[in-house]
Amino acid sequence: MAHEVHLDSLKVVEQDVILQVLYRDQAVQRIEEERIRPVFFDSLDCRRLKTQLQHLRWRGVKGPSTEYKDKCCARCQRVLGLLLNRGAVCRGCSHRVCSECRVRLRGTRVWRCTVCFEDRNVKIKTGEWFFEERAKKFPTEGKRETAGAKLLQSYQKLSTISVVPPTPPPFSESQCSRSPGKLQELGQFKGFNKSVENLFLSVATHMKKLSKSQNDMTSEKHLLATGPRQSTGQTERRSQSDTAVNVTTRKVSIPDIVKFLRQEDAKPSPGSVSKQEALPPISTPPALFSGGLRHGSIISINSTCTEMGNFDNANVTGEIEFAIRYCFKTHCLEILIKTCKNLAYGEEKKKKCNPYVKTYLLPDKSSQGKRKTGVQKNTLDPTFQETLKYQVDPAQLVSRQLLVSVWHLGTLTRRVFLGEVIVPLATWDFEDSATQSFCWYPLRAKAEKYEDSVPQNNGELAVRAKLVLPTEPRKLQEAQEDQLSLNGQLCLVVLGAKNLPVRSDGTLNSFVKGCLTLPDQQKLRLKSPVLKKQACPQWKHSFVFNGVSRSQLRQASLELTVWDQAVFGMNDRLLGGARLGSKGDAVVGAGGGSQSKLQWQKVLSNPNLWTDMTLILH
Amino acid sequence: MASATDSRYGQKESSDQNFDYMFKILIIGNSSVGKTSFLFRYADDSFTPAFVSTVGIDFKVKTIYRNDKRIKLQIWDTAGQERYRTITTAYYRGAMGFILMYDITNEESFNAVQDWSTQIKTYSWDNAQVLLVGNKCDMEDERVVSSERGRQLADHLGFEFFEASAKDNINVKQTFERLVDVICEKMSESLDTADPAVTGAKQGPQLTDQQAPPHQDCAC
Ligand SMILES: Nc1nc2c(ncn2[C@@H]2O[C@H](COP(=O)(O)OP(=O)(O)OP(=O)(O)O)[C@@H](O)[C@H]2O)c(=O)[nH]1
Ligand SMILES: [Mg+2]
Ligand SMILES: [Zn+2]
Ligand SMILES: [Zn+2]
Repeated sequence: MAHEVHLDSLKVVEQDVILQVLYRDQAVQRIEEERIRPVFFDSLDCRRLKTQLQHLRWRGVKGPSTEYKDKCCARCQRVLGLLLNRGAVCRGCSHRVCSECRVRLRGTRVWRCTVCFEDRNVKIKTGEWFFEERAKKFPTEGKRETAGAKLLQSYQKLSTISVVPPTPPPFSESQCSRSPGKLQELGQFKGFNKSVENLFLSVATHMKKLSKSQNDMTSEKHLLATGPRQSTGQTERRSQSDTAVNVTTRKVSIPDIVKFLRQEDAKPSPGSVSKQEALPPISTPPALFSGGLRHGSIISINSTCTEMGNFDNANVTGEIEFAIRYCFKTHCLEILIKTCKNLAYGEEKKKKCNPYVKTYLLPDKSSQGKRKTGVQKNTLDPTFQETLKYQVDPAQLVSRQLLVSVWHLGTLTRRVFLGEVIVPLATWDFEDSATQSFCWYPLRAKAEKYEDSVPQNNGELAVRAKLVLPTEPRKLQEAQEDQLSLNGQLCLVVLGAKNLPVRSDGTLNSFVKGCLTLPDQQKLRLKSPVLKKQACPQWKHSFVFNGVSRSQLRQASLELTVWDQAVFGMNDRLLGGARLGSKGDAVVGAGGGSQSKLQWQKVLSNPNLWTDMTLILH
Repeated sequence: MASATDSRYGQKESSDQNFDYMFKILIIGNSSVGKTSFLFRYADDSFTPAFVSTVGIDFKVKTIYRNDKRIKLQIWDTAGQERYRTITTAYYRGAMGFILMYDITNEESFNAVQDWSTQIKTYSWDNAQVLLVGNKCDMEDERVVSSERGRQLADHLGFEFFEASAKDNINVKQTFERLVDVICEKMSESLDTADPAVTGAKQGPQLTDQQAPPHQDCAC
């Protein structure tokens, strides 16, 4: 019966969807194990005690005189009478027990002795009864090993193979780039230098965090295109905790690097093209948007407005000390806010600061999800000693991020933002007592990465792309060219990323997935190796998509996503993604496509030349 | 005297049995019969007319109170599509109970019930509890499977039977609660008819010679 189950017969998209379910299941199983463990221990303690007593009794008896045993309650050793208080035999263990040591089973007149009763409870609580029953048919079946766990195992075996850098591309990096050293430099310095205007390519992708709460079970399905009805279903099937997907076009400017390369058909006008618009969110659960629609520019971080009403920004300095605890019994998440130190003045000129702390469990930024401490007066090192509580289902936790922000309350209830910390709970180990103790967290400037805020900037990804065609296609006709270039290659070097949403320890084990969708919906996928413990990973990993022609690519789209590898068996965390391509898909719609198209055309119309770009991750 | 002991036992009983545990339930049946909708109705009290076919498997967790007990249900929703069959059948073995669903407006889905039941027999434990559910009973105008045929087939297969509607929220909660109850019954049966030699083995020496007829009433 032990047939092996694999995911590898399925499409990668399907595997991804299923994997997320498996990881969610794993989280549920862990909670279940947590629940069961004390049950086992309790019962062990109890049983040990009882058997000790019993052994004492047996030892006191010379020879197995059944008559004698009869005289004594097997559980409490009380002497039983011959006529009165004779005791009765327990049907569970066949021992004679006194009336005090019996427990009646619920809703019946049947009873068991205290030990059997306890035993029975343990079997119910742990599900042991089921495993015993099942073992009758599947004797070799591991007790608590679930189908999901097996699937995960087999998948992980598979994926360790695919994580290994893909086989060396026929066109190695040195072959591909004319002057690798120079380009490397450009990619790393110019590409990453914030002062240099990069070509920000911003396509709001419909990709979102795949780590979903259990209420969102179908929300990922829109990633699949299996049927015409799919597209209508995706939005309606969302639950409350789901966040809206928004589309924004952002400031775009031409990078120096493009000028440097002096592309012949540099169609885009030099200087910066600024365009900002937002489509209404696809689904707007009222609870999530009680603050109204919020749009902001990702370029100027300080001008963002995430709350209803205005607030000012101070320079962000200092740290905050708090602890996070979760009680699996009461489903209560507690944030124990202790102190802050070295805060910035809320009002620099007046040297005033009246700090308070506010929390949200992102993505929920509704007022119901807000918790606040009291306001401390005139201090840069306030002590709060307050506990902020949330009632939240364990399975929900993995999909949440704890946002802790510090504010100054000025006159006329003017609020000044003093800094914030975001702790992703997906990677938080609530069972580890070390993670429950107080920790200092450096305060950070407001990052536009809340799931419900319209523009999400989850960092920048520097890439370099080139279309490699076997012949010099300068004056060739497209049709002719295609015949020659069925073996064209799209070379892509994923240089590195920065400003990624890091874990609470400030690091990431990140990797990049690339997915090239061809006009026939065929998808080519590649994955970079994982770079461990780095906040600004430099993969310098090349993806080579083989056997593609230019005309195919003209209608293709390339999706790049950055992931944080799973820890503690939780989901891989999607840090952000960007899409390049000529065809804005349905979700991107009217607003998004044009800039991405431009960039893509640049690559396609300059075969065998590298184009560097920095993509904003959403 | 009996009542006196009863009340004393009653005390012990209530303080001891208010714990929680977990049941795993699987929903199976042809694609588009409404498995996902049924689960959404139960877990989220929501319904959408749009059809998003399930990829592989999915689940939801819901905690209910039944007879003073807190029971956590992990309800697995399977894809009806044939191509996912290897994955979905892998989950049969972990399930204590099944909801086997067909669509009363879809003859083919009803004809497939027999096959689904065979799948359960093959991949699941012997005492698997199954409820047969004829979904979409709100669509009376398009009904092609009569209630009578549904009931007969259920009797034949030894399953309990419900007609339900995820859309109009008919018999959804009842179906799950009934399934929980029958699993509970099976559980008690399994525990209380267990061979004493097995249960008692851990408690010490066996006193087989003392296996007396049941003493239901306290003799003291
Ligand atoms: N009228 C009516 N329509 C229903 C009912 N239940 C489901 N539907 C519709 O039937 C279609 C299929 O429902 P799903 O729940 O997605 O079907 P499924 O069994 O999960 O299908 P697979 O995931 O492919 O196995 C959807 O369009 C639902 O809106 C119902 O009780 N009444
Ligand atoms: Mg479904
Ligand atoms: Zn006793
Ligand atoms: Zn006993």
